[in-house]
Amino acid sequence: MSSAPLLAADRVRLYLTLVPYLLERGQVTLEEAAAEFGVTTAQMRAMVEKLTVIGLPGDSGYWQLPQEMFDIDWDLLEQHGVIEITNDVALRRVPRFTAREAAALLAGLQLVAAVPAVADSGLVHGLMAKLSRGSSDAPLDLLVAPVDVTEVQQVVSRALHDGVAVAFRYQAPDAAPTTRTVDPRQILMADGQWYLQGWCHLRQAMRTFHLDRVSEARLTEIPITHGDAPVSASFGGATDVGHVTVRLPERLLSLLGAFPHEEIDRADGVVTVRLSMADPRGIKRIAGRFGGALEVLEPSVAHVATRDWASAALDLYNVPESRSARVD
Amino acid sequence: MTPAQIPAEERLTNLVVALMATEIGLTKQQILDNVSGYRQRIEAGAKPDSLEKMFERDKDELRALGMPVETIGDPLDPQDLREARYRIPQTEYDLPADIEFSDAELAVLRLAGSVWSSESVSADAQSGVRKIRALGIDGDEPIIGFAPRIAVRDAAFPALQEGIERNRVVVFEYLKPGEDAPTRRRVRPLAQVEYEARWHLFGIDLDADGERTFLLSRIVGDVKVTGQTFDSALRDGAAERALAGLAAVAASQHALLEITPGTEAALRLSRRGAPAVQGILVPYVDKHIFADELATYGPEVRVVEPADLRHAVIERLRAIVAAHGGGVEAS
Repeated sequence: MSSAPLLAADRVRLYLTLVPYLLERGQVTLEEAAAEFGVTTAQMRAMVEKLTVIGLPGDSGYWQLPQEMFDIDWDLLEQHGVIEITNDVALRRVPRFTAREAAALLAGLQLVAAVPAVADSGLVHGLMAKLSRGSSDAPLDLLVAPVDVTEVQQVVSRALHDGVAVAFRYQAPDAAPTTRTVDPRQILMADGQWYLQGWCHLRQAMRTFHLDRVSEARLTEIPITHGDAPVSASFGGATDVGHVTVRLPERLLSLLGAFPHEEIDRADGVVTVRLSMADPRGIKRIAGRFGGALEVLEPSVAHVATRDWASAALDLYNVPESRSARVD
Repeated sequence: MTPAQIPAEERLTNLVVALMATEIGLTKQQILDNVSGYRQRIEAGAKPDSLEKMFERDKDELRALGMPVETIGDPLDPQDLREARYRIPQTEYDLPADIEFSDAELAVLRLAGSVWSSESVSADAQSGVRKIRALGIDGDEPIIGFAPRIAVRDAAFPALQEGIERNRVVVFEYLKPGEDAPTRRRVRPLAQVEYEARWHLFGIDLDADGERTFLLSRIVGDVKVTGQTFDSALRDGAAERALAGLAAVAASQHALLEITPGTEAALRLSRRGAPAVQGILVPYVDKHIFADELATYGPEVRVVEPADLRHAVIERLRAIVAAHGGGVEAS
């Protein structure tokens, strides 16, 4: 599919919603309309100016009459950057949702239904019915399997909602369990997992906690004090201190998922990337997912940890494969 | 203005306006003669054949945008489209007037529309939200504190969506773990389902002549959307059937595992399993995917049974050791 006709289609789609939007709102600034439709103000200006060449079909040999064309208040646009439609000939009503639009929103609803504020609202089922009925064709089947909300998730959500710190036991991999008190800032739901991002009273810094590793969660009466500290976009966030360099086939790169990584080299279908990790030895777990297709290059402590981790697991099965060279 | 200067979006939008303004419909000739964008080309002496083709493409484009372009043929001979009339019925175009959205509902939909990491699906969701905004709804304050995300990392996803949307058979190469080479699959795509954070295609495998579920991550290379169509009624309830099928597989397949208490493996797996006499029973859908996960836990978990899963885990562990110079150093 070439990009040119796609662009035209996008613009047509935009007009169909832009016209009823402008008619409903009367006067709208270029900036506001541009932000609403996700385009630049220059693009919005061009779109609105082009609207005035849209109109009802003329008769052969005759030009269309002015009242048969869209028109805008040109002075208002040029002097104040404000859009107002002064003559409209069609497209007054908001069109139905396309099958894709309805599907994208329906699947999104399935996921956010687990958000307590949404669940409490009781609006999800009604919305699903409205989207399906308002769709031009049957919405595409796009489904996100529902997941039960655990007690820990409920407690953490409640803390966020009430604006109080939450206390819990945290069991990070390869570390002794700790008791944490955290000012909740945000709950991230990704890949079916829930993460709490917040200000950790113990570490005096923003941290991200995997809720599967949280137990004995309870609400405190301590009001949030660091709720507005900046949240790192990535998972590891401020905890990143070390780096690990790994090599893996290009086609498996997507398995790294949201894990923060930076590409160093790519050749012959093999990629070398550097991952940020609090403890480089933690790569041993990630490496497991690749079944030998990912090789840990540096640092050597990470390389050795990966080998020993798999080797110790093999020992459980009494197959001393790692020492096969000597046994033979 | 010369015809070449009239951009496609202008012609298409004029076409929409014309098709909506007519009750009885317009013939192809009326459209070519009168709608701005075609008219100028006729006047400039463009060939009728090429203009008719252009109109056919434009019509398809509008239908792809969800426009209900209706063809009213000769009632005596519906196959004869020479005198056919075209129109967009207002009642099928408009969002039904009795569908209303509250400010609270818009806030929920905004959150729902914000979850997609895939640009194309995200654009669709935003476009849907905008239609509600165009109704004059401003929406409550955004729901904050929650950042739900749906990741779509599989390159096959958009093409499969297109196949589902247009009821077209898709063809792709599918590589099952343990097989040396991918096999070619011809599938009527019915639904895409995210289950345990992985996208699955549910469809009818034409060669196997039955409903099958495919993991998108195992599709190799590009997905081809063919010209072969199928009855859209096949899609009815497909996503629910797919989900029920995956759940049934998980319910029928359990691994007996021994887990070291207090470890990452214990935290992640015990949540999903049930205690057994010796260890814990955990349901799973796909042997290879579960083996991939179990390998990450290293010595924190030991597979007791089934044997094929245990073997799959051992195979992975051996490969990891080999990739990190295990045998060499030990000798």
